Amino acid sequence: MTTPNQPDVPSGVISTFRTLLIGLILVVVVLGLAVVTMTMGRAGTEPVEPVRVDALANSNDSCVTCHRNSSPGIVEQFSHSSMALADVGCRDCHEVASDYPGAVEHEGAYVLAGPTPAMCQKCHQQQVAEFNQSRHAAPAYAAIKGVSEFTPEQVAMYQAIPEGGYVENKPVNGLYTVEGPEITRFACHQCHDIGRPNPDGSIGSCRKCHLRHEFSIEQARKPETCNACHIGPDHPQYEIYIESPHGIAYMTGGDDWNWDVESGTQTVSDFPAPTCATCHMSGFGTSGTTHDLGDRLTWYLFGSVSERRPAWQDNMARMKGVCFECHNENFINEFYENADLCVEAVNERALYARELIAPLKENGLLTAAPFDQPVDFLDFDIWHHWGRTTKFGTWMQGPDYAQWHGIYEMLRDISEMEVIVEEEMHKAGLPYEPPSTDDTE
Amino acid sequence: MLLMAAINLLFLGIDIYLAHSISGTIVPNEWIPIYFGPVGFVIVIIAGLISLKKKAPATIIIIIISILSIGVGLLGWVYHMMRGLALAGPVGEQVSIPLLVWAPPIVAPLTFSLVGVLAIAAVLPEDPVDSGILRLSTKCRIHFPFSKSRFYFFLAGLGILATLLSSVLDHARSGFENYWLLVPAIAGIFASVVAITFGVIRRPSRGDIATYFLSMMALCVVGAIGLFLHIDYDLTAGGEFVQERFIRGAPFLAPLLFADMGGLGLLALLKPDPAPNPEPNPSR
Repeated sequence: MTTPNQPDVPSGVISTFRTLLIGLILVVVVLGLAVVTMTMGRAGTEPVEPVRVDALANSNDSCVTCHRNSSPGIVEQFSHSSMALADVGCRDCHEVASDYPGAVEHEGAYVLAGPTPAMCQKCHQQQVAEFNQSRHAAPAYAAIKGVSEFTPEQVAMYQAIPEGGYVENKPVNGLYTVEGPEITRFACHQCHDIGRPNPDGSIGSCRKCHLRHEFSIEQARKPETCNACHIGPDHPQYEIYIESPHGIAYMTGGDDWNWDVESGTQTVSDFPAPTCATCHMSGFGTSGTTHDLGDRLTWYLFGSVSERRPAWQDNMARMKGVCFECHNENFINEFYENADLCVEAVNERALYARELIAPLKENGLLTAAPFDQPVDFLDFDIWHHWGRTTKFGTWMQGPDYAQWHGIYEMLRDISEMEVIVEEEMHKAGLPYEPPSTDDTE
Repeated sequence: MLLMAAINLLFLGIDIYLAHSISGTIVPNEWIPIYFGPVGFVIVIIAGLISLKKKAPATIIIIIISILSIGVGLLGWVYHMMRGLALAGPVGEQVSIPLLVWAPPIVAPLTFSLVGVLAIAAVLPEDPVDSGILRLSTKCRIHFPFSKSRFYFFLAGLGILATLLSSVLDHARSGFENYWLLVPAIAGIFASVVAITFGVIRRPSRGDIATYFLSMMALCVVGAIGLFLHIDYDLTAGGEFVQERFIRGAPFLAPLLFADMGGLGLLALLKPDPAPNPEPNPSR
């Protein structure tokens, strides 16, 4: 510092160290330009890929050091995750207060063995809110067990889902009851727990799709993840997708797609053909990212007789916003018109089957117990397997599923049911007039 | 320059809000710069108005905001750097270009610090002009080894360097597949070197001034073109606006930092006003 009467004497502290100051500036400049040069040199040929560093290699965190011995697999998975790289630790997701619902004592702390969406939403608020509005949430669990395990708040969350189809006092699914807990814990629950009620008031499990402990976006985006549940005779979406042109493109070229692209910015450059996530979840074309899987769907295709979803026109606009990235308007509109006609045609056959079995119900020839007579299974297969498969095969462009695994099986089972119903009515000495197929139109 | 600093605070707040919205959740620490930007803008503007009547209190207010701005920038830099390093990773892999490329922009928070330094420099009068002596009060002065004008050139140079680093690290994600992405890199390298060199030269020639002027103008043009290209990238193939693409896609405000630094560099060329006389001390 100087006094006012010594203006021209460079005797201040800063002036004394001007060489140091200028030197430091030059060091910063040289280092900065060096980073620029190295980055540009490295990136000259191909994009810089996100790294897979073992972010916990030298960690002395007690969770890490202990679990490296007791369950090294989860440490290995998490250490290569983007979350570990972002300094998210085990405690951030697992540790809770001693009085937290579901907390268990563990090595002097209280933890959740399986973190719930309430923990995930500390950082992923929007994603959890979207999920809560989807049929992957409460409706998925209510489909097998009703709402008896839900708290009033969780019931309210269920009721708030526009496409939730909430039904008061929804009963436990008949097949679930017949199978028993020894089976259902390895069967129904493995998929439907995606919407289970949690003790802390949250609903569902993000881990069903975001496998622990790597939480890879690539894994979550790949169709094989959806394959965990959307497979098999009741809703073979994965098989249909693989058969479809979209799936063929994925199977033959998917290795080169940009699986790590920033959410919400995906284009046809990243995904030249769509995956399950592209059409139903990704920010693509004019549609924004969502964790509400029904956000772009027009029909309740899973129903025995499909109905339009609430605000289905908006949903359709969002789905078309994805389609437009590759298809022209005429193609898309024509496809929608024809697929709608197919859904209505399957509906007619499902209604016919419903009328077909009605005399057995009306005359007490069917027991009240679920799935205790062959015709119960036949009745179920007609819509739950073959009707659905026809509709999914149509919308997802899997002709073999629309045809041989779908409508063909449906027609055969309806034909078999016609015979069974007529026989049962004759055996009971009751008059029987088969329903007219025209009645259902 | 003070108005420049204030406007920068406002835009930094907006830009950081958009950047931190990417994940859909803004955690408490991330709100610090978001609130600080607009609040700092308002306070600096009010202080600027106060300074028309009363210099001393306005100067104190602006210096406090500037110091806070420097602090916010450094704090953000630490947070971003922590995300850009794998401190517990294997030796040799704790620092790498890919880590820096995919981390939150490591130098971006330092823009707050830069703006803080700019505001302090702007609010302290240099007396006499081009002497490097900044007047803190009637009795207290700081003597810098270079004039305020030259300091602005250094500041512009460092600001351009920070902008350049952010741009290069961000564009590296695409591998510079589009050769036009080299334009901001080349313009940034050239302008940062020119600005710092210009600050070092005591008596610049006409050629030096022309080079400096053109390089700053080039930055303004690069910023404007970048704004257009980023917006074009964020629009859908059909040219439609989708909010999410603007938040998660190419940061549309980021290229304006080039124009901002170009503008700062051009402002630094203006001949400084002589410092006003210090306010009379009423106790005398």
